[in-house]
Amino acid sequence: MHTVYGMTALLETTNLTVSFGDRAGWFRPAREVLAVRSVSLALQAGEVLAVVGESGSGKTTLARALLGLVPIAAGEVRYDGCDTATMTAPQALAMRRSVQMVFQDPFGSLDPRLPVGAIIAEPLDIHRIGNPASRRARVAELMGLVGLPADAAGRYPHQFSGGQRQRIAFARALAPSPRVIIADEPLSALDVSIQSQMLNMAAELRARLGLAYLIISHDLAAVHHIADRVATMYLGRIVEVSDVDALFTRPAHPYTAALLAAVPRIGAGKWVPGAALGGDIPSPLAPPTGCAFHPRCPAASSLCATATPDMRAIRAGHDVACHHPLGTA
Amino acid sequence: MTEAAVSVWQLRWRRLARDRVALGALSVLVLLYVLCFSAAWIELWLDVTGVDTDLMSRFDPIDARHWLGSDEAGRDEFTRILRGGQISLSIGLFAALGSSFVGTVIGAMAGYFRGRVDMVLMRFTDFMLAMPALPVLIILAAIDLTKLGFSQDFVRSGAAGYWRIVLIVTLLGWTTVARLVRAATLSLVEREFVLAARAQGASSLRILWVHVLPNAVTPIIVATTLRMGGVILTESALSFLGVGIQPPSTSWGSMLTNAQELMASNPLLAVYPGAAILLAVIAINFVGDGLQSAFDPRADPH
Amino acid sequence: MGRFLLGRITGAGIVLLLKSFVIFALIGLMPGDPLDLMMNANPETTPEQMAHLRAMYGVDLPITQRYWTWLVAALQGDFGYSRIQHRPVLDIIIPALGNTLILTGAAFVLSTTLAVTLGTIAALKRGTWIDRIINLFAFAGISVPSFWLGLLMIYLFAVRLGWLPAGGMPRPEQGYGGMLAHLAMPVMTLVIVETGGLARYARAAMIEVLSQDYIRTARAKGLTDRRMLVRHALRNALIPVLTLVALQLGGLFSGAALTEAMFAWRGMGRLILEAILGNDYNLALVCLMFVTATILIANICADIAYTWLDPRISLGKRRR
Repeated sequence: MHTVYGMTALLETTNLTVSFGDRAGWFRPAREVLAVRSVSLALQAGEVLAVVGESGSGKTTLARALLGLVPIAAGEVRYDGCDTATMTAPQALAMRRSVQMVFQDPFGSLDPRLPVGAIIAEPLDIHRIGNPASRRARVAELMGLVGLPADAAGRYPHQFSGGQRQRIAFARALAPSPRVIIADEPLSALDVSIQSQMLNMAAELRARLGLAYLIISHDLAAVHHIADRVATMYLGRIVEVSDVDALFTRPAHPYTAALLAAVPRIGAGKWVPGAALGGDIPSPLAPPTGCAFHPRCPAASSLCATATPDMRAIRAGHDVACHHPLGTA
Repeated sequence: MTEAAVSVWQLRWRRLARDRVALGALSVLVLLYVLCFSAAWIELWLDVTGVDTDLMSRFDPIDARHWLGSDEAGRDEFTRILRGGQISLSIGLFAALGSSFVGTVIGAMAGYFRGRVDMVLMRFTDFMLAMPALPVLIILAAIDLTKLGFSQDFVRSGAAGYWRIVLIVTLLGWTTVARLVRAATLSLVEREFVLAARAQGASSLRILWVHVLPNAVTPIIVATTLRMGGVILTESALSFLGVGIQPPSTSWGSMLTNAQELMASNPLLAVYPGAAILLAVIAINFVGDGLQSAFDPRADPH
Repeated sequence: MGRFLLGRITGAGIVLLLKSFVIFALIGLMPGDPLDLMMNANPETTPEQMAHLRAMYGVDLPITQRYWTWLVAALQGDFGYSRIQHRPVLDIIIPALGNTLILTGAAFVLSTTLAVTLGTIAALKRGTWIDRIINLFAFAGISVPSFWLGLLMIYLFAVRLGWLPAGGMPRPEQGYGGMLAHLAMPVMTLVIVETGGLARYARAAMIEVLSQDYIRTARAKGLTDRRMLVRHALRNALIPVLTLVALQLGGLFSGAALTEAMFAWRGMGRLILEAILGNDYNLALVCLMFVTATILIANICADIAYTWLDPRISLGKRRR
């Protein structure tokens, strides 16, 4: 249903569900938490899709499920039309080469015991791309591409600042010439000034290398000028997917509206419906019935407490899962 | 920036180099190893022998040739101590390395694969830990290897006696390292750099070898060092009880067995081997302690 | 709590059972006839009966079956006979247990007290020469071979000075004085060997506690050092120390083996060494099972003590 562009998506999920929980013990029933619930999303080649939501909404789990880093409970992930669950080993390796990840914490995602050159070359080692000499050349090229000094290869991660470390992580992701980069909160650990540098670099590299990005973020403003489309996630579900401009000007889901209201925007003259969010995201251990957002929703009706809204298109390229979408009533 | 430009290991070495006690202990230890393994040359130089008996020169007093006198069989005591040290010190090294190897493999598997593998391996570790160590070691040292299908000739050989001790001390000594490595692995596999490698499709072996073990190496080094001291003490106890190193081979422990009987007449013969054990083990422990504080990030002045 | 205990005791029982099998199997591999375990255990066995037994439990009989026979008898309270002493095993073990408890108990109390005292002093005087001397003493204790220390003491106090008996047990008519004289050297040996590690541990625990915020707060509020120590630090520093102590309780019966042997003290440790080195398989086996059982019980006690002292830890919580 999301293949709205009429072609095979590069990376696509259908009803993807991820659950965490203890396995049942001898004297203990199994406990289950659905971190990702029946998510269907499609990323087209060359596109930038942002997934936004508060922490605890399941964004990170979604990103990790796409890469097979957490087990999938139900649904499927397809890369280039192939279901990852039935891929052959060479196909899976090819996918891992083409879909790269940049993690949130630039202090945690780089092995402190390896010099930067070895970190950036690791994908080349794993996928057996080139020989030692060509790998060294490639590492130098990549460091230039992300703006790292040439002598960085022999130094260790702790000798770099947060922004430089995220550049290292980015260079590592670019190393095997991927088609998709999944970035999990790539900016949240960085200073605002560094954030915009990184965004500019990402946008430039995307144009130059024809990359597709899936960006996970809690910060709508940060993704505004790089994303083509935005998906809003709440308690494991996608509640709204839209082109970026439509979403920012006419959000249909009260949750998206609330997230936008929370964003301080300079010169945003437009009044955004929905007050800033009160309360916290409910525990995924005991999600609310019906629409998971209804306890915090200003527009909730009795229907919202009992029936889970399905995703439906309210206009071309704009889907929402809400009984009372804004701007339509 | 100058401080940041040195590697972790350089920093650690600098901290260790500032620790005069640890450095002194390290020098003593290195000297002991060098002396012991030069025993043959020292014998040539002094024109003495720590191996062959000479009934004409029993209980010789200390002089320029016999630096520590000679023993009840006329062997030169000083070079005999050095020869005993070859066995005691090398068993210490091999069994400590062996224990660490076994412990690292078991601990890393338990911490990496978790779940059932972890449960089985950790129950096994607990099982080993609750063994009354010395009695079980004695039983293992006394086991009749011919009952396990080894030939008489092999069983009677000096090499079999030597490697048997290395093996059994290894078998009972790996639990500490296994626990340390497991704990380190459990926390390391949650780190994002391991996730990043997994996202690339890195094999388990690669993740363990490239990412987990190098980051867990600090506690392994410290534990191995301290273990060496424990091994030397254990070997000396077993040999003292007559189930360790057998004549004609000699270790510091087995030298004490003979000396015990001559205690009343020649007490010094019982002093030297024990003092050698004490010196070696205390040096090892000081080195281990120094390594521990040099490796401790909290000791970092920043 | 109840379920936790039940679980731990069941677990310990299983470990004990497994261990008895392992030790049974290992002892079977020691020099001599594996059938000694069964036949020589009973001094009244006649050659005819032995032949009969040999037929019954042929050498080819699998170890599991021989173990089963032993286990069934043991579970019924029949632990068999000692081959060397020709007495029921239990009659030998019980007095030895008593002797060991006297020796190791005395050493244990002394070394724990000494270790906590020295550790606390070292922590308070951290970095001074007092700290260094205590540290050196601790390292020497950890590093010295106990049997060598015993040897030196015997030479000094018994052979040269003649102050103390070289070893053996006091005769009943010697009274308390005789007991003390015979205990002095083995207890001293054990204390020297055991105090070092524990003192270092106590020092580390004390430093850890002293560096914590609430102690700094107490200090800032003007509490005098002495009161602060008693009130806050020592109590908290004692938690890890006592846990280690409880864990070492298990070694009370076997840890002193070498020392008991050196001073001919008729305790469990010496009994085990004699049994093993003298091929008295059945005695060795039963002794080792006793020792293993005490280690396991001590471990459970350590867990309980830990919870009791530190309310933040709850029993039954899964340990990682």
